[in-house]
This record gives sequence, structure tokens and C-alpha cells, in this order.
Amino acid sequence: MAQPPRITTRKRKIKGDGAWAYAFIAVALVVYAMFTAYPVVSAFIISFQDYKPLGSTFIGLDNYKDTFGDSLFWKSVRNTVVYTVLTVPVALILSFAVSILILPLKKWLQTTFKAVYYLPVVASGVAMSVVWLWIFDPLPSGILNQFIGWFGMDNRNWLGTSATSMFSLVLMAWLSSHGTSIIIYLAALLGIDNSYYEAADLDGASFFQKLRYIVIPFLKPTTLFLFVTGIIGSFQVFQNAYLMTGGGPDNATTMVGLLIFNNAFKYFEFGKAAAQSLILALIIAIVSFVQFKFAGKDVEY
Amino acid sequence: MKKKAHVLASILALSVSMTALAACSSNNDNGNSGSASPSGSAGSSGSASASTGAKDTITALLPPVSANFQNNFEQMEKDFNAMYPNLTLKIEPASWEDMTQKLDTQVNAGSPPDIAFIGSDGISKYVQQGMLMDISSAATPDMIADYDPAPLGYMKNGDGLYGFPAYVSVQSIGGNKKMLEDAGVDWKSVQKNGWTYDEFRQAIQKGTVKNGDGSTRYGFVFATSGVTSKDYLNILVKNAGMPNAFTTDHKFAYTSKNFLEVLKDIRQMIDDGSMPKEISSIDAGKRWNMFLTGQTMITGKGLATFENSAKQNNAKLKANDGSAVAGSIPVDYVVLPVPTFAGQPAVSQAAVDGYVTFRGKKEPTEEHKANVVKAAYFLDSGKNMAQTNNELFLGQITKSARDAAASMTTDRDPDNLAAETLLESKAAPARPDIPTDLGAKEIKLEDEVIVPKFQALLAGEISPQDMYDAVKKAAIDTYGADGVVQD
Repeated sequence: MAQPPRITTRKRKIKGDGAWAYAFIAVALVVYAMFTAYPVVSAFIISFQDYKPLGSTFIGLDNYKDTFGDSLFWKSVRNTVVYTVLTVPVALILSFAVSILILPLKKWLQTTFKAVYYLPVVASGVAMSVVWLWIFDPLPSGILNQFIGWFGMDNRNWLGTSATSMFSLVLMAWLSSHGTSIIIYLAALLGIDNSYYEAADLDGASFFQKLRYIVIPFLKPTTLFLFVTGIIGSFQVFQNAYLMTGGGPDNATTMVGLLIFNNAFKYFEFGKAAAQSLILALIIAIVSFVQFKFAGKDVEY
Repeated sequence: MKKKAHVLASILALSVSMTALAACSSNNDNGNSGSASPSGSAGSSGSASASTGAKDTITALLPPVSANFQNNFEQMEKDFNAMYPNLTLKIEPASWEDMTQKLDTQVNAGSPPDIAFIGSDGISKYVQQGMLMDISSAATPDMIADYDPAPLGYMKNGDGLYGFPAYVSVQSIGGNKKMLEDAGVDWKSVQKNGWTYDEFRQAIQKGTVKNGDGSTRYGFVFATSGVTSKDYLNILVKNAGMPNAFTTDHKFAYTSKNFLEVLKDIRQMIDDGSMPKEISSIDAGKRWNMFLTGQTMITGKGLATFENSAKQNNAKLKANDGSAVAGSIPVDYVVLPVPTFAGQPAVSQAAVDGYVTFRGKKEPTEEHKANVVKAAYFLDSGKNMAQTNNELFLGQITKSARDAAASMTTDRDPDNLAAETLLESKAAPARPDIPTDLGAKEIKLEDEVIVPKFQALLAGEISPQDMYDAVKKAAIDTYGADGVVQD
């Protein structure tokens, strides 16, 4: 006796709000299908082909074999890993430190600093690169060269030698684009209830003790999030190398992203580029999985 | 009210989805924008109405070839339509920076413009893609006869002709007249008779001066940062018995001993102190700035139009115009030939750019081909070519443009003009015989091995021998031991 009314309720739901819901998510679904799912499936198919606009040919696993046998690919993977290891942790520490410094300020001052730090994120990457190219001017009159000149050091060819080109890109990453992380950290810091600090104060805890026992544990989910997204972003880094060094000298700053771009848009080897981008996606997935597995164990959301 | 909002929202949702879908599908439909024109010639793709002059639209993607070039587009479109009332020329302007990206995106989507202005060195890449339109059957004998044969050769690949050349721009070096004379260089004789590497080395050593403030005025600065590093090496090796990366029997030439000689000399000029040790990071803008501000005696690469740029800056300095280059001095630009290496004859590097013809996914009809050729020839001959090349200080390469240019005046230095003409006569010949797959492999070898190693050589990280060995190894890996020159 109880079943028939239940069926009618369900029917009514699909007809009413349920139907509207499907209509609304259709937009997101169509956009997702077209701009995410379709390109991924398409890239997967192209990775087995010798791509030509007028008709591609199936070549099996050749693109993958070529990639694994290509010393430049491995060099670019190594460069990307080095870049990631040098930039992501430092970026996290810097943005954490800046957030802690901003936190005690008045609201309007907090907002001002947030805006100031976020500005480089909004600025065009190309414009930023032009400024940095100016800073890294190799002649003695260059800004950074004048700076090190004060310490009695000779001018350096920052972007032109293998010894300093990667460091120059890393320095650029260290000194810009922490805006997003700072805002996320600040939001998390503001979410920590004051009662914890008050209790700590009563116990006579010092600033560093509060940091160690309250702030850091509370920020663990945020840190994990920023760490994972930072590493994903760093693995996909392309713009800096493309605009600042073009991958040189001697491929010392050729990142996987740049290599994929070159293969696709410079040499029109879309098959190889698709294969490499899928390998990169796999590497990122494995790294993220490992991060969640080990770092995310005791994180409570 | 609530219901209305639902309806409105779903209409909005539906239209967003439909727009997105429509955008994608229309892309496929317009696969060959050229042959199925928006003006309704789709039906004529058979061949029936060839003689009646069916309507057709020809699209062209053109960069700012000269300063006033893009301002004339509207007039060009009108003039073309007046000449061929059934045809519409649609010109899409693009910046030089956007040009390659826009074109490549359109090519890879299978819907390129009918005509694009690009360097002839890009032809092999697009031929390999199968996206260029061979116009050898559609170009009339009159049109072909109008062009100088040497530059026309650059637009060929195999047996096909893939467009018309716009100009021959010789890439050489240029000097500061006063500094050259102070260094005792008889530049007039050099312009006429050329010079060897040893003579050049002595000249730039004399031209290198330590200034009172501790800075150095260099004898020679060539832009080598990024893409320009290719230019430096390519221009020099032409004068070392390697006019092309491939010999006439299609062997890769840069494994020759002469290549090693050039590399040694390049390093030697830096070690002498005649070139800055930071040369690997000096880009095109920087070295021109160094030339105008008196920090360099000889600059590279040099183009004909630089005489004009220097003159314009001189005029600004004279008029106390604030837009003159900061810190610049009056400079008389002297066109100079590149020195020769290892006793080899002088061969100039020539950049031939032109109007290249593309095809879409569908096979273009003969009628459409003929229409595209008409448009390309219209853009690239007579008054249009004359105006553009005059502005660029470049020679005319069609008879019709020479006639049209006869009444136009240029403020060209006669010595520079004579030197430029001599260099043009020594331009490396076109090599349409090089198969596209060899060409494509060469581009990759150049980008992945030669340029990176060259950057390292310039930065003093590897020796000339190291670079030579690396190039030789990579070349043998690519072409096999029999596919490279072994001398």
C-alpha cells in the first residue's frame, strides 16, 4: 500500500525541479564534453597517429617509442623536476610567511596587501617577462648586474649561460605570483577560531609554539591543496621558458610544456605532442597520487 | 514569476549550448573557406560557370610588411574588385607576432586563408602538411614572365609553384661610417671587393675601443639571442662553402670541416674581445640600440631598411625630437658584405618572402585557383609591389613594379644601393629540389641541436670542436653516415 504514492512523488520530481536541474547542468556538461572530454579523447587518438589536416595515418605506438627514446624529452623532464623542486616549496614558505605577516593588520591594510600581492597574477605574463628580461640584461648596465656589482661581482649573462639560466627562471618564480596562495592562506588563517590562541596564551605559549601547534596543523589541508596544485602547475610550466629563454641555452631550460608546444606548433608533430602530453598527465597523476597517499594521510577536511 | 525565471534560464542555457555546438560544426563546414565562398559560389564548385565569371571570395592574411602597407588594405580591396567585379578580396590584417600562430591554427584546422604573406622557408613545412595550393597550372605565362626567375625559384618546391615572391631581402652586416674610417677600414673597397675573415677580424679588433668610463665600444655585435642565433650561423656558413644545409646531391653539409672552421672563428672573435662575452643574450633590439648609441662599429644582421631607420633617427636628433633613441648619436649606415671563410666564395643569405597560396580540406576548383592567382598577382606586382618595396628600400622583382617605381623617389645612398645590388647578385640560389622530409628533419635538427649547442658555444660553455662533434653525431643519427658530408 505504501509503494504507489512513492512512485508518483518521484515522477513529479523529474517532471518539475529535476527536469530543470538536468536542463541547467546540460550547459556545464556540454562545455565539459566539448572543451575537456573531447580534447582528451581526441589527444589519445591522435597520439597513435601521424597527424595531417587532410587525413592522418595510424602508426601504432611509434610516437610513444620515439618519445621514450628521445634524450631531449628526458632532459626536459629533468629540467621540469628541478624547476618544481626549487620553486614550489619556496613559494609555499614565502606565501605562508607573507600571510602570517599580513594577518595581524587592520582589515583595510590586509586588503591592500592582498591586492598588491595579487597584482602580478592579473598582469599579463608577457609584460612581466619584458620587465624580467630588463632585470636580467646581461651587460654591466643591467639592473641585476648593477645590484651584484655593489658586492664587487662581475656582470653575469643570466639567461644566456646554462649555469644561471635555470636559476634566473627560478628567481623569477620566487619573486612573483604568490598572490593566489597568499589569499588562500589568509582565508584559512582567518578561519582558525580565536579560542585556540586564547587558550595558548593562557598556557603561556610563545609565537613560534602557537605557529607549531595551532597554525601549521590547522593549515595542513590548505598547504596540501596548494602543494598539489603548485606541483601540477609547475609541471605544466611553459610561459616563462618560452618567453624568457626559448628553452636555451643548450636546452638547459626546455621544460616538458615547451617541448610539447614546439612539437605541436613548430614542427606540426601533433601525434608526438599528444603522446608527450598524455605522458605528462600520467606523471602528474602519479605525483599527485603519491602526495595524497603520504602527505594527505592525517589531513581532516 | 518563478516559472518565468525557469523558462528564461533554460532558454539561456540552451542558447549557450547551441552556440558552442554551432561554433564547432561551422568550423567543419568551412573546411575550405576558399572554394566554397560565402558569396555563393558553393554551387559552382563543379566547373560549369568558369567562363561566366562566377562570384568568388579570396581571403588573405597579411602582416604589416611595410609601415604603410596595412593602411592600404581597403583601397587594395576596392581596386581589386574594380578590376574583377565578380571577385571579392577579403584581407585580414595580422601583426608579425600573430602571423605564424594565426596561420598555423587555421592550417591545422584545415581552413587556412587562400593567401598568406610568409617567408619562403616556410613553404616546405606546409607542403609536407599537404596544405599548399600548387598554382603552376593557374598562373598565366604573362604573370610568370613578369617575375625575376631567381626569387620565383624560392616559391617552388619540387615541381610545384606555391605563390609569388614579394622581395629579396639580403641579410648582411652594416657599419658606422665614421668608426670604420677611424679604424682605417676602406669600406668602399670592402663593399666592392668583399673581405676575408682575417681582414674582418683585424678591422673589428681596431674598432674595439675602451671608453673612458670603463665601458667598451665593440668592433662587432650580432644579435644571437633566441631565434636570431639561427641567422648568425646561417649567414656566416653561406660564406664558408655551404650555401645550403644540403649539397646538390642532398647530403647534409654542416658536417664539413669548413663548418668547424667557422665555429672556431666565431669563438675567436669573442675571445679577442671584439664581440661582447654576453653576446648570446643580445637580441635584435638590443644590438640595434647598441649601434645607434655608438657602442658598436659593425652590427648584424643588417637589412637594407636599416639605412632608413638610421636616417630617421638622425633627423630626429637634428630636430631635437624627444622620440630619438635615448643616448643615440648621428650614424651613417654603411652596407657591408659578410666576410668569407676558409677561402670560399661569397654567397649572400637572401630572405625571400611572398604571397603563398593555401588550400582547404576540399580540393580547390580550377576556377578558384585562377581567382586566387589573380589576387596574389594583384597584391604582388605593379603599383602595390613598387610602393611596398620602395618603403622597405628593397629592389623590385617584377618588370611591372619596376615600371611603376620609375616615378617614385627614394632617399637611398648610392654606395649602399650598389653594394646591396651586388649582394643580391650573389644570393644563394633557391633549392626547390630538397625533398620536404629532408627539409623537415633539418629544421628539427637545427632547433634541437644546432641552435642550443651554438648558444652554449657563444656562452663559452663548450668548445667549437664539442659543438661540431655534437652536430655531426646528431646529423649521422638523422641522415645516416652516407647522408652527410664527410671531408
